Amino acid sequence: MTINAMGGGAKYKGTQMREKQLSEMIEKKVTEAKQVCEGDETSDECKVAWDEVEKVSQAKADLRLRLEVEKKDPLEFFCLENPETEECKVYDD
Amino acid sequence: MAVCSAYTTQSLNSTCSISTPAKTHLGFHQKQVVFYRRSSKRGGSGSGSGSSSGPCVITCSAGDSQTVVIGLAADSGCGKSTFMRRLTSVFGGAAEPPKGGNPDSNTLISDMTTVICLDDYHSLDRTGRKEKGVTALDPRANDFDLMYEQVKAIKSGVAVDKPIYNHVTGLLDPPELIKPPKILVIEGLHPMFDERVRDLLDFSIYLDISNEVKFAWKIQRDMAERGHSLESIKASIEARKPDFDAYIDPQKKYADAVIEVLPTELIPDDNEGKVLRVRLIMKEGVKHFSPVYLFDEGSTISWIPCGRKLTCSYPGIKFHYGPDTYFGNEVSILEMDGQFDRLDELIYVESHLSNISTKFYGEVTQQMLKHADFPGSNNGTGLFQTIVGLKIRDLYEQITSSKTAAPLEATKA
Repeated sequence: MTINAMGGGAKYKGTQMREKQLSEMIEKKVTEAKQVCEGDETSDECKVAWDEVEKVSQAKADLRLRLEVEKKDPLEFFCLENPETEECKVYDD
Repeated sequence: MAVCSAYTTQSLNSTCSISTPAKTHLGFHQKQVVFYRRSSKRGGSGSGSGSSSGPCVITCSAGDSQTVVIGLAADSGCGKSTFMRRLTSVFGGAAEPPKGGNPDSNTLISDMTTVICLDDYHSLDRTGRKEKGVTALDPRANDFDLMYEQVKAIKSGVAVDKPIYNHVTGLLDPPELIKPPKILVIEGLHPMFDERVRDLLDFSIYLDISNEVKFAWKIQRDMAERGHSLESIKASIEARKPDFDAYIDPQKKYADAVIEVLPTELIPDDNEGKVLRVRLIMKEGVKHFSPVYLFDEGSTISWIPCGRKLTCSYPGIKFHYGPDTYFGNEVSILEMDGQFDRLDELIYVESHLSNISTKFYGEVTQQMLKHADFPGSNNGTGLFQTIVGLKIRDLYEQITSSKTAAPLEATKA
């Protein structure tokens, strides 16, 4: 897993995992949506599939904004209190 | 910490017994002490589940004033982080997620403000929406009863256990405690959809992004992601449009302020969405809110600040101000097209605006500079978001200073 070098990045393993999860979900859900919509573009299933793509895309973007612009890892406070958990392992740049 | 104020009109001399407060199934923490009187002429209200004659209720509210509630509507759930951060910054302090709680919480808390993401009121999680064939935009995916009950409770000083919608797992997580702040901001897709919730709002804003700008922004947002392409971005916008037009867009007529973002008119065929034309549409006659104006209130003004005193680089800056109607309401519209390149352009513009509710000369500029790395910091989006933040501060101060000392009033059923 490469560290995002765009100044500010995930500090904790848990955040990196979430970043990766969201990225993979975007890819997966775009593929799903394309498949679902092949039959009928106006179907409810098609609408819902693309809405899901939007939701995860926005979630990823929110996380990125927090990390790159605000330079804060969302797990900061959680990890201060639970430093020994798997999620709170720290990676150096 | 809660302060108990006694609200009662009758003396407490009657024989009383104290019953312990209960937590209702809706997740309210009732700070209530119930006194049972032997004979009663008036009923009091308990936890809202119907009154019985007998008990008179003394309610403790946290803090000395009612919470001011602001609604902020736009597309994509809680993606208005920039606006929220500008707003909380106006009040001082940084907005942080609740400490020690669920790390996937969507809530932001600062000294004065708490920002709640309305996705937390989804009644259907990811799987549920897929099963029922319902998007998140659809009212059927959201629990408006709970939204109303909880916003009402917070507004009256009662803490609530609010659900958390986890955007990573797509599930509804166990609730988090939300204590009444001085200012509650509810942001999301449907803050003004339900009439009961609308009535609780002290001020409401709708962020109206035109289709071209939305496309340009989403390209900027998503193109770096593997899996996305121009086609997928376009398809996603198109597929969501019917529900968006049916359920989200109609809210804008209820907003006290609409920030409309359009492509620039200064550059022919600019489809990169970098230079923007932004319109601040302000409703007239809103309590505690005096619209921003340029030069002469109520008149119509066209203003290009760049000239002899101020040099701007291409494409420059163009302002427009004037009265209008918007969905049948009287409004004033302040419009900025173009970009700020330098500090002195910003301060020059600020010095010519009126009713911006600053506490000192240059406050708008200072706020914009503080967040120079935020999107929109060089155009009307950042400018008007900042100004709306100052207007909300002004509104808050007017509301709280108009409250008298603890009134003596009976709690009503």
